[in-house]
Amino acid sequence: MRSALALLVAVVPAAALVTFPMWSADWESSRYATTILRDMLILAIFALSLDLLVGSAGLPSLGHAAFFGGGAYAAAVVGQRLQNADLALGLAAAVAVSALLALVVGLFAVRAAGIFFLMLTLAFAQMVFAVAFQATDLTGGSNGFSGVRRPTFLGLDFNGPEPLFQLVACVFLLVLALLWRVRGSTYGRALVGLRENERRMRALGYDTTRLKLSAFVLAGAIAGVGGALSAYALRFVSTNDVGVGRSIEAFVSVLIGGTGTLAGPVIGAAMVLYIERVLPSSIPFAETVLGVVFIVFVLAARQGVVGLVRTVYARARR
Amino acid sequence: MSPDVAVQQALNGISFGALLFILAAGLSLIFGMMDVVNLAHGAFYMLGAYVTLTLVQRTGQFWPALVLAPLVVGLLGLVIEPLLLRRLRGRHLDQVLLTIGVSLVITDVIGLTFGREIHAIPLPPGLDRSVPILGSDYPVYRLFVVAFGTALAVALAVLHRRTQIGALIRAGVDDAQMLDALGVDIDRLFAITFAVGAALAGLAGVIAAPVFGIFPGMDVDALIYSLIVVVVGGLGTLSGALAGAGLVGPADTFGKVLFPQFALALIFAIMAFILLLRPTGLLGRVRIAR
Repeated sequence: MRSALALLVAVVPAAALVTFPMWSADWESSRYATTILRDMLILAIFALSLDLLVGSAGLPSLGHAAFFGGGAYAAAVVGQRLQNADLALGLAAAVAVSALLALVVGLFAVRAAGIFFLMLTLAFAQMVFAVAFQATDLTGGSNGFSGVRRPTFLGLDFNGPEPLFQLVACVFLLVLALLWRVRGSTYGRALVGLRENERRMRALGYDTTRLKLSAFVLAGAIAGVGGALSAYALRFVSTNDVGVGRSIEAFVSVLIGGTGTLAGPVIGAAMVLYIERVLPSSIPFAETVLGVVFIVFVLAARQGVVGLVRTVYARARR
Repeated sequence: MSPDVAVQQALNGISFGALLFILAAGLSLIFGMMDVVNLAHGAFYMLGAYVTLTLVQRTGQFWPALVLAPLVVGLLGLVIEPLLLRRLRGRHLDQVLLTIGVSLVITDVIGLTFGREIHAIPLPPGLDRSVPILGSDYPVYRLFVVAFGTALAVALAVLHRRTQIGALIRAGVDDAQMLDALGVDIDRLFAITFAVGAALAGLAGVIAAPVFGIFPGMDVDALIYSLIVVVVGGLGTLSGALAGAGLVGPADTFGKVLFPQFALALIFAIMAFILLLRPTGLLGRVRIAR
């Protein structure tokens, strides 16, 4: 009975999300809300993958865009070069490229911790940016890669805002489910152990370097999936997608939403996307707002929105 | 590569290294004292360059910027440290995160004020010539950068070794808590350190402006280069910044001439290599990697 109820609690919002373009058609015929929500979900996937490092394993990566952008370029280039926009092929290429990049960067980065980890991920991710910038034949360099082919899968054609939204929503839910499983698994708990006390984990016999590296690669691969979806959605990949700005976007999302939770990065991504995409139509200094919001959260609410809600809830119960 | 081109590129490399030293010295100083990697360092550098741009546009004068820009950026640092960083003392990672927010605000305000296009300023009068060196002409301004960087290195070394504030800084780098217990006003020392580090970034922005131009995104370039310099040279020491800049400047310059395809990757390869061999960097005092 309880599990049936839990299933209902999970299935109803999920179904509501996937069918959003259908039941929202009456009041937003321009599909603006669908587009914004789609991009929010993509940022949420990206932020969720980063939180596996920041929140679970306590590894503050400031170079995560290298893998998001790597996945985006991989999906775009495969679609163009192979003249085949098969979704499975595109996503497989995205996962392969971003996981490989994460392995290379991770080999160096996981040797450091804390501030130094942050420094090294920031610096080495910039190497991926440099390569994307210079490999003009492949990536389009500073002009970007435009005209990414919309994917097809088993006869389904994801051209048009509605099916594309549904694709993004489905992948988002799958990523959410995957990360939920990871967090509950022995592996997920071992990652938390890394964050809490790495020396004790070593004493317990864990190869902590390998553990960190595997988390880095897994997080990179999921970020690559997010990047591929972004390429499909916008039909465009630019060097911004591998740049520091994109990394900061994900990091800010994770932090203001709340690290170490599944809800946090999603809430944070919604806030960041609102500030960056909706707010600029009314005020010009949206990026400043983002900076100030971030500063306030770091200073006063390090546990993010989720932490704030928990505090308020705990007070109310007392 | 013919000999005169090699000489020319060697000078370019040394000149770029001198600029990197000015840039990285401030980052390293702040880290040495406060254990904070200031990720707004690139934004401070950018601000220094835009102060220079404003001065040149308004008055046509370049030289006052060498005083004005570090002053403006230093004052900003003097406000930011007590206002923001001090609240998180002891939480180094959160302090670093805070500087990301500071950098977002500074770069956005600059973008709103000056627009998003690329600006250029002329070389300062008197240094806009070339001199013959070993048969080929070489721009005087780049020689000035080398001289300026060298003079600054000497001045900082004297300040560091021979003065009371230098002694306080050395003591603070060794053990800030002990210094606090001995009755030194550590709040003031931290604020001054942060301001001086910021001012050095601003100064680097002035020096770089006539050569590299003034544009949105210059902050990221500067930040990444200074991070690479301090990782290669070693964090927290003046000699580390010098060694890192002395290696990265020429390596980057020659890389761009010899293998333009891989130039950007070259300095990252050097950084990876150094990290494998010496986890503290060449002359550093903290282990960056295990």
